[in-house]
Amino acid sequence: MYRTTQNLQKDNELADFADRLLNDGMEQDASSSNVELISLEKTILNLKETFPPKKLDEDKARRMLAQVKLRARQEKEPVKQSFFQRLFDFQSNPQVGLLAAVAAVVILVIVGLPSVGTSGEALSGAALSDASYVPALGILVVLFILYWISRRK
Amino acid sequence: MQINSNPLPDTSDELLIQQFKDGRQDTFDVLYHRYLPKVYNRVRYVVPESDVEDVTQEVFIAALKSLPSFRGDSKFGTWLRTLTNHKVAEFYRKRSRKQEPQITMLSEAQAQVDGETSTMMEDRMFLQHTLQGLPENYREVLLLRFAEDMQFNEIADHLNQNLEAVKSLFRRAVTALRNNLDK
Repeated sequence: MYRTTQNLQKDNELADFADRLLNDGMEQDASSSNVELISLEKTILNLKETFPPKKLDEDKARRMLAQVKLRARQEKEPVKQSFFQRLFDFQSNPQVGLLAAVAAVVILVIVGLPSVGTSGEALSGAALSDASYVPALGILVVLFILYWISRRK
Repeated sequence: MQINSNPLPDTSDELLIQQFKDGRQDTFDVLYHRYLPKVYNRVRYVVPESDVEDVTQEVFIAALKSLPSFRGDSKFGTWLRTLTNHKVAEFYRKRSRKQEPQITMLSEAQAQVDGETSTMMEDRMFLQHTLQGLPENYREVLLLRFAEDMQFNEIADHLNQNLEAVKSLFRRAVTALRNNLDK
């Protein structure tokens, strides 16, 4: 009980000190008789002295307001993007990203399948002919180049 | 002339926001001038001097962009205070991503421009850094009292606590600040 009362007293004393300092600017030094409170009052004085009151002049405030409005307007305007940038903007168009991924998988599967002979039977174990690679690789290269160009712009 | 000169001093924040939503863009100017000193001071306590204006502007840009969707669940001042805290946190996040040192050392020449010694600036940066490192409730009560010049009874209303609890929180916050400064 005594401890609680003592704490309440310290709380009030420190708050009063802050009020006298901030409201009236009366306190120039720690004034408590309590050792703990003296050190806390010094911390408050330090805080007050380190951040003396500072007012923005009206010109600066107006300049800042003009910049705020300009930046807000600029950030509202949509950024002009090229066709390829829009096409490969996977974050905005996840469907396109998904489609590209599926297309890549399909191409890889086609490339990976054993080539079909003229008789219509798959020749298992036979090496792929150069001809079967060319279109699939071509598509992959074109897709990669388009993606690379869109990222560079 | 003071910066918080207000062409419509009696108009409430709520009415100004409603008018803004109805297309009167100039009402934002009134809100800006009304809250600039508080936002600027709050930022000044926790952000290096050279970045205070930038962060303050970021707060108002975000406010201007978000105002049309402001629902009024809380008071505008409270909403703006939360926005300010977010922008300060974002500033430190971006800075740590750039791997800049927490305390930027300034040249003696730069410090003298503002009539301050580099020691004074370093002291302030150290204090800002320490304040920013305090638990949120401690930092908040100190900023409300020092940066925003709110009285303890106003802080109690704002935090929905009784006066004794706020004064107790204040003493614990000052104690934590002193202990961290002494480390």
